[in-house]
Amino acid sequence: MLLKGQSINSKEKSTEMANSPINVLIAEDDRISGRILERHIKGWGYKPYLAQDGEHAWEIFQNNPIEVAILDWMMPRVNGLELCRRIRQPKYLDHGNYVYIILLTARDEREDLLRGLNSGADDYIIKPFDPLELRARLNTGRRIIELQRLLNKQATYDALTGLLNRRRLLGRAQEEYSRHQRENKPLSLILFDIDDFKKINDTYGHLAGDAILVEVAKRLRRGLRQYDHVGRYGGDEILALLPNCNFQALQKIAERLATLIAEKPILYESQAFSVSISAGGLSTESYPSLSLQELIALSDKALYQAKRAGRNRVIILEAVHPLGGEA
Amino acid sequence: MNQGKKSLEPEVIDLPSVLERIGGDETFLQELLKIYLEEFQTKVSELEKAVVHEHFSAIQELGHSIKGSSANLSLLELQRVAYSIETAGREANLAQAKEYLNKLKEAFDRLRTYLVDCDWWKASR
Repeated sequence: MLLKGQSINSKEKSTEMANSPINVLIAEDDRISGRILERHIKGWGYKPYLAQDGEHAWEIFQNNPIEVAILDWMMPRVNGLELCRRIRQPKYLDHGNYVYIILLTARDEREDLLRGLNSGADDYIIKPFDPLELRARLNTGRRIIELQRLLNKQATYDALTGLLNRRRLLGRAQEEYSRHQRENKPLSLILFDIDDFKKINDTYGHLAGDAILVEVAKRLRRGLRQYDHVGRYGGDEILALLPNCNFQALQKIAERLATLIAEKPILYESQAFSVSISAGGLSTESYPSLSLQELIALSDKALYQAKRAGRNRVIILEAVHPLGGEA
Repeated sequence: MNQGKKSLEPEVIDLPSVLERIGGDETFLQELLKIYLEEFQTKVSELEKAVVHEHFSAIQELGHSIKGSSANLSLLELQRVAYSIETAGREANLAQAKEYLNKLKEAFDRLRTYLVDCDWWKASR
């Protein structure tokens, strides 16, 4: 249904904390130079990851959200140039994160710089480096990384509610769905919808509707677990993904969320609004053989049932499936 | 401190320049020098082997590596001698490699003598 034509970004290595220190990989086989770099970089407010050879650096790169890489050109086996080439493989760019690369080189290797820049380095610095110069060059990288973080944030979160936007939500859904299959752990889905939202908008205006949506999103977020994902699926439809959550736990959580919305009125312009939500959900524990698209479609059906049954209620589907009932 | 030592200082280690490079922290400089002294022994014995076996690419690499760490600590004489070793390796010049290997050891001895007389170094021992 709604999933048709939707591209799913299956892997995001993005650093979501916009103000967290920038992660800097240092690949330097000279221990002294490596320690000096590490210390300066830490002192300037970055988070250093020090590797003593190219192979180690590559391992760190693959397991950490590296944003800036300072690579020594001359290293045994995997040198800086080879690392550059590897980092610039299209599959790493697809994650939406450009790595800013600075090559470190000795003065007498200067003729190689063109080769380095052509292999994908953004900048270079000559050893032994002047700390002020390195700091300034790192600042150039920082500007690019910060801009990228901002763009990533805008491309990840819904501007009004601060929840995941639809595209990222579906990306996470795909990731969690694959993980549930791989690790054989149940995944649950709940689709929420604010009752009579259209009426609220028509009667009190869209600003009131927006404020209510924002507060509902905030309460839902608060009621979910740290590792759950919640995003704006449609106008006032919110989808939550609950990894490692079975049918029983899902029922409790969904009821608790509905209560969180209904128990206290939402204040807007000193007016109290009694808002309720309807929800439909299910766990893969009950439907082990359905595709992600089918699971979402079925949650939508459950939500529709909840609406038809008079709103302000939660319907969690149970296995009426010939294969269902056990995970 | 006698005058002779003082005038030797910039040749052995250019303290102002290295301190500027590492942010002025003498304790950190001591940590780095300890790494340097420790690594130097290993590198020199590898270099001796490489010279015996006339393994020129190894001579070049080791010369390059010693040159790099010396430059980072502004050990000017050691840096210059190591550069000559690197060049000897590149040019496959055995006589020059032997000559500069000896000069390297002499320069290293001068560094050690210098450090022994240094108050800030003694304080860290």
